Amino acid sequence: MVAAKKPADIQISGSKLPPIPLPTNCPGCGVGLDLEELRRHAYVCTSCGHHFRMGADAWIALIADRGTWKERYGDVRSHDLLNWKVPKPYQETLEQLRDEGLNEAVRTGTCRLGGRDIWLAAFDFRFVGGTLSIVAGERLARGMEQAASSGLPYVLVAASGGARMQEGVLALMQMAKVNAAVGRLDVAGVPYFSVLTDPTFGGTAASLALLGDINIAEPGAAIGFTGPRVIKQATYADLPPGFQSADFQLARGQIDMVVSRPELRRLLAHLLEIYP
Amino acid sequence: MKLHGRRPEETTLTVWQVVELARHPDRPYSLDYIKRMAPDFVEMHGDRISGDDPALTGGIGTWHGRTTMFLGHQKGRSLKERVARNWGMMHPEGYRKAIRLAQHAAKFNFPIVSLIDTPGAYPGAGAEERGIASAIAKAIMEWFRIPVPIVAAVIGEGGSGGALGMGVADRVIMLENSIYSVASPEAAASIVWRDNTRKVEAAEQLQLTSRDLLAMGVVEEVVTEPVGSASLDYGATAAALDEALYRHLQPLLAQPTGELLQHRYERFRYIDSLVRAEPQFGPKI
Repeated sequence: MVAAKKPADIQISGSKLPPIPLPTNCPGCGVGLDLEELRRHAYVCTSCGHHFRMGADAWIALIADRGTWKERYGDVRSHDLLNWKVPKPYQETLEQLRDEGLNEAVRTGTCRLGGRDIWLAAFDFRFVGGTLSIVAGERLARGMEQAASSGLPYVLVAASGGARMQEGVLALMQMAKVNAAVGRLDVAGVPYFSVLTDPTFGGTAASLALLGDINIAEPGAAIGFTGPRVIKQATYADLPPGFQSADFQLARGQIDMVVSRPELRRLLAHLLEIYP
Repeated sequence: MKLHGRRPEETTLTVWQVVELARHPDRPYSLDYIKRMAPDFVEMHGDRISGDDPALTGGIGTWHGRTTMFLGHQKGRSLKERVARNWGMMHPEGYRKAIRLAQHAAKFNFPIVSLIDTPGAYPGAGAEERGIASAIAKAIMEWFRIPVPIVAAVIGEGGSGGALGMGVADRVIMLENSIYSVASPEAAASIVWRDNTRKVEAAEQLQLTSRDLLAMGVVEEVVTEPVGSASLDYGATAAALDEALYRHLQPLLAQPTGELLQHRYERFRYIDSLVRAEPQFGPKI
């Protein structure tokens, strides 16, 4: 076991983040973006603090100590079990995303953070909207069962539109599957930290994402059950600005804190230090 | 066209006709069944935190000689009652009430019957403001710890997380003309097509009928409805539902608690194991 680092020694990210597609100007403040500077600053605008969405690869690079990531269950693959054909064949969608190098909506594995061994799961919003699928649920539940028996803390980074429509009721059932596994972490007394990023909605919010021992949201992240478009359709209500934002959820007791991305790794390292 | 057949595998209905039957305003609702199953039913109210959710009915009654906790989504029959019951769409208080009553049942060792009939959790601003997502999340997790047998039945609409929040049980069965889905056909159409008028196509894609769910291994049994559907004979449907639920409950009553909870965990942990996957998921229990 490597000696744990003091939180002050913890860098913004474990290793250099992969490049991500970015606009030329910040959607938050309109300032022209310096891509290299932004990359060093965890893809947070240095002038207004706008948090750009990151995929699972960037999140793993951010959180894991350099060279410590070991992907687990990456070989569990999804397929078109409902024979979903319209408007686009689901199998084709899956294959196309795999060709782009994405491996499902959730990637899980073990790594170190500040020298401490942890389990890490990161949603990827680019893969069918980060939707909870059978494979996502299977990877999460297996990892949580492992964490419960080995005692390693479990860290989740959520970014999801909810359950995956194209896998029907079996996608819905993943909510029960993963919540049961979160219950195993509870019984085992294993710390579970959930980081909610933009956006976290539907079946993911209503299952593992809001069940953390500590729920941490990114500034400006939209978090809720029903999306604003559907709320408007269903109730004709005009939603006030900031509805379902991280600050909204903080004020309503759903999350413990709002933490900007450059501070996140130091915070997690500190938490891992004080939760034995 | 012949009337709807008596055997689940021999239906002449289209998927959309099943959806319409599941939502039919004359269809029996939870209290129609509960009052037939346990005529001495005593209704209880409130989550003991901030309110009562009329979209969920709950209480105790004697069923086959045993005090039993009944829970069920309740849609309203008249327009006034529909508004009061919020069309069976629960707010956060409803999920908290359900868990309070489940813990009450656990204290006295009463088995639990849960009847599911909801379009979904309430998709409105008030529910969001009071934490509907974490209320459902917490309820789903808590159901796995309730140390008494739970049998559930989808009696009409099993809509999304709002239904699953009441659907974690040791056995889950469905009435023949009920549906259970990741999202309502309208919501799925809105999400996949960005057009909620494509609901019929969405319903066909979603595989949400009782037969589909039985084939996927998500429910244990489909209870046949009388000719012409449940709406035409409340008494016969209630008797069939009663018989099936009690048959599923009996072996659970004899199970030691640890085993019961372990099996409930495994029921959901491996619920997708009938799906072809590489590498194979866990064993089907």
